[in-house]
Amino acid sequence: MADEVNYVVEAFKFMLLGMGVVFLFLIILVKVVEIQAKLIAKYFPEDTSKIPAAKAGKIADEEQQKVAAIIAAVTEFRNNKS
Amino acid sequence: MNLKQILISLLFAMIALTSMSEASSHDTAPITEEVSTEKQTYESKTIGELAGSWWQTTGLNALFDVNDGEMTSEPKGAAYEREMTWFESSLGRIIMILIVFILFYLAIAKNFEPLLLIPIAFGGLLANIPLAGMGGEGGMLGIIYNMGIANEFFPLLIFMGVGAMTDFGPLLANPKTAILGGAAQFGIFGALVGAVIIGFDIQDASAISIIGGADGPTSIFIANRLAPDMLGAIAVAAYSYMALVPVIQPPIMRALTTKEERVIVMKTTRKVHRLEKLIFPIVVLMLALLLLPESAPLIGAFAFGNFAKESGVVDRLSDTMQNSLINIVTIFLGLGVGSKLAADKFLVLETMGIMVIGLIAFSVGTAAGVLMAKVMNKYSDEPINPLIGAAGVSAVPMSARVVSKVGSEEKPGNVLLMHAMGPNVAGVIGSAVAAGVLLSIFK
Repeated sequence: MADEVNYVVEAFKFMLLGMGVVFLFLIILVKVVEIQAKLIAKYFPEDTSKIPAAKAGKIADEEQQKVAAIIAAVTEFRNNKS
Repeated sequence: MNLKQILISLLFAMIALTSMSEASSHDTAPITEEVSTEKQTYESKTIGELAGSWWQTTGLNALFDVNDGEMTSEPKGAAYEREMTWFESSLGRIIMILIVFILFYLAIAKNFEPLLLIPIAFGGLLANIPLAGMGGEGGMLGIIYNMGIANEFFPLLIFMGVGAMTDFGPLLANPKTAILGGAAQFGIFGALVGAVIIGFDIQDASAISIIGGADGPTSIFIANRLAPDMLGAIAVAAYSYMALVPVIQPPIMRALTTKEERVIVMKTTRKVHRLEKLIFPIVVLMLALLLLPESAPLIGAFAFGNFAKESGVVDRLSDTMQNSLINIVTIFLGLGVGSKLAADKFLVLETMGIMVIGLIAFSVGTAAGVLMAKVMNKYSDEPINPLIGAAGVSAVPMSARVVSKVGSEEKPGNVLLMHAMGPNVAGVIGSAVAAGVLLSIFK
């Protein structure tokens, strides 16, 4: 009987340690992530504008391709006509 | 006491069945004679002997002959085999095959995690085939088991794939919600206490309690290290509760929150810088390295998968990890875990205890997450919908989806999915850390 009580107490100790470590880990993680976010926002702010810029580039590319396709179609059409 | 009475009555039923089957065997014998005489006319055996030897190899005989001395199949090899009891080799198998059919039904008709349940249940079906020894050292399931489950390899590959699938954006956008992923781990340690009180050995109890994290791969990983005998029951329990997230969680969520709390609308999350996502897996791994190297295998595999995804230059690798690789491993993992559904391993009293404790653990974890979210909502300047606390268990992304569903039922148009993903992915990290703590205790 004494042994059993002992194990339950042990289990509670595990709980204390486990939850402590889990929370410690996550709290440190949250803090690090918050600091990281601030640092990145401070030192690499231009990168956020890069993504739309890249997208814009893609769009421009597509536009050019479209224009090329239209020109090709028009020339083809004219050639056939004549 | 009741169980004993049931067992005894089952015993009598079995005796009646066996005598009936004995009688019917004589009836069926003449029909089979012709087939066997054609094939083996040159054997100097009488027709009766031939029919008898064929009968000896049938599954019917194996199922109904109570004292045929059949051995259990052990992936570790013949040295670990023992003779099956009459119950294990007969009625137990029939019960297990019925359980397998229920699992098929749940997977196909109810759509409960079919990706997990179908391979597991089919593995269970194969493992209960008498005389075939599928789960033995040379059997198909035994080979799979030795290949990746006995050495904890498959769970790590799954973690890699989950890492490659996980987007930490929501967590990075609102880091505070990560704490909820910690609160839900309370289920693990609460269950540990419960299991010890029920009378499980403290090491076994630790292995069982991980079910509270609702994390299949972690459960397998820990069970392998701490209680390999219970692996089957623990894995099946963990995966069943992962599959039952949509059934178990909503009532708990509703019971612990008020209507006003459930309709809280959360602020839209900010845009996350690409660099933050890229650095995050490294940060997690560094923390694991500093605080808890025991959790390195799990967190390492997870971080690798996520890093490959966020690096953006190895799409082929991250694609493989989150699709082909994880699919292949899921097939093997499912079949391997299913091999532990063999009657001689699954139908023991401990399984009942494991299933019950697992359920309590999972419910307590959900409740702890919700309560923590309530507290955070009170003391935080930004509104937090307590429902997202339920996503702190690490069943990704099932519980986040469930949270979102309950949220939009309460208030149409209130989409909590992204907010719930934060605690959900933090729950994965949290349960890996909790697993590391338990491993460090028993090292």
